[in-house]
Amino acid sequence: MERRVAVIVPAYNEEGTIRSVVRGVKGLGPGYEAIVVNDCSTDNTTLNAELEGATVIDLPVNLGIGGAVQTGIKYALASGFDACVQVDGDGQHPPSEIPKLVEPLFGDGVDMVVGSRFLGGAYKVPLMRSFGIAVISLFLRSSAGLRLKDATSGFRAMDRAVMEFFAGDYPQDYPEPESLLLAHLKRFKVAEVPVEMSYREHGMSSITPFRSVYYMIKVLLAMLIDLFKEL
Amino acid sequence: MLHIRLFIGVVAIVFFAVTFEFIRKKHLREEYALLWLFTSSIIAILSLWPGLINVLSRFTGLYYITAVLAIVFAFIIAVLMHYSIAISKMKEMNKELTQRCALLELRLKELEKAARR
Repeated sequence: MERRVAVIVPAYNEEGTIRSVVRGVKGLGPGYEAIVVNDCSTDNTTLNAELEGATVIDLPVNLGIGGAVQTGIKYALASGFDACVQVDGDGQHPPSEIPKLVEPLFGDGVDMVVGSRFLGGAYKVPLMRSFGIAVISLFLRSSAGLRLKDATSGFRAMDRAVMEFFAGDYPQDYPEPESLLLAHLKRFKVAEVPVEMSYREHGMSSITPFRSVYYMIKVLLAMLIDLFKEL
Repeated sequence: MLHIRLFIGVVAIVFFAVTFEFIRKKHLREEYALLWLFTSSIIAILSLWPGLINVLSRFTGLYYITAVLAIVFAFIIAVLMHYSIAISKMKEMNKELTQRCALLELRLKELEKAARR
């Protein structure tokens, strides 16, 4: 039987880019389905996604990225998908790279895969941001032995076991690095693969230099507490 | 001294009345209402019977106003902590409800589409 992969696209006001993302997912073939989680957008995100044939989950109130992704995971679990991929709705993650993330899940014994901008390619990010990413990497390596170059990447794939884990509890505020640590602490195998990423097509990144520092501190604190959690 | 007693007495009565009114209008749930009714009763009792303070301080050894303030401060911190926990819990429940609602809505939409075919 062919395996089915849910491509979860959390989207908040992404009417300009959502169509090309969904079209890209469709282009991957019948095994991939686009599940757009509209986080209470005020624009035509839902309409545009449905025009391209995506399944759209409309959240009645804004939950933020963590709550939106978890909704997609719950849907994918209930609908019997074998794996899911998280892809940003802003066009930063080229859908053509999705198979690279999914492959290690089937056969290599990996449970969760992160798409890294920094492995191989020369992707540039603002200075404060790359400093924050480096500190988070250092923390993950020294505290839990988890070696990742790009733990903040929102381009990831996971199998059903991890999906079940995250359906129960998923970090809400800045979930990317934290969820990787939680999966690792729960003894899931987490791996990183190099992917190409494009620069944002529309809009601004929500992370400014000041916010990068705030983000880093908040994530580090949350991860520090995670180390003592009962999973 | 009498002025202060009078003032605290009035505050206690107003506080009590306001709490009672909020409960009556269901702005306050009983669990919180009880806490505030208890607090306003303590203020009322202390204003009506200021000698109680002396009895209490002899009983507990707290003669300094700072010590009393520390206790009041700890009480307020405990109440605030309780609220933070309550809000966190409510946020989690709210998230679960939002997700369930959105997923059911999608399911309904899909069932309607299938029924029309």
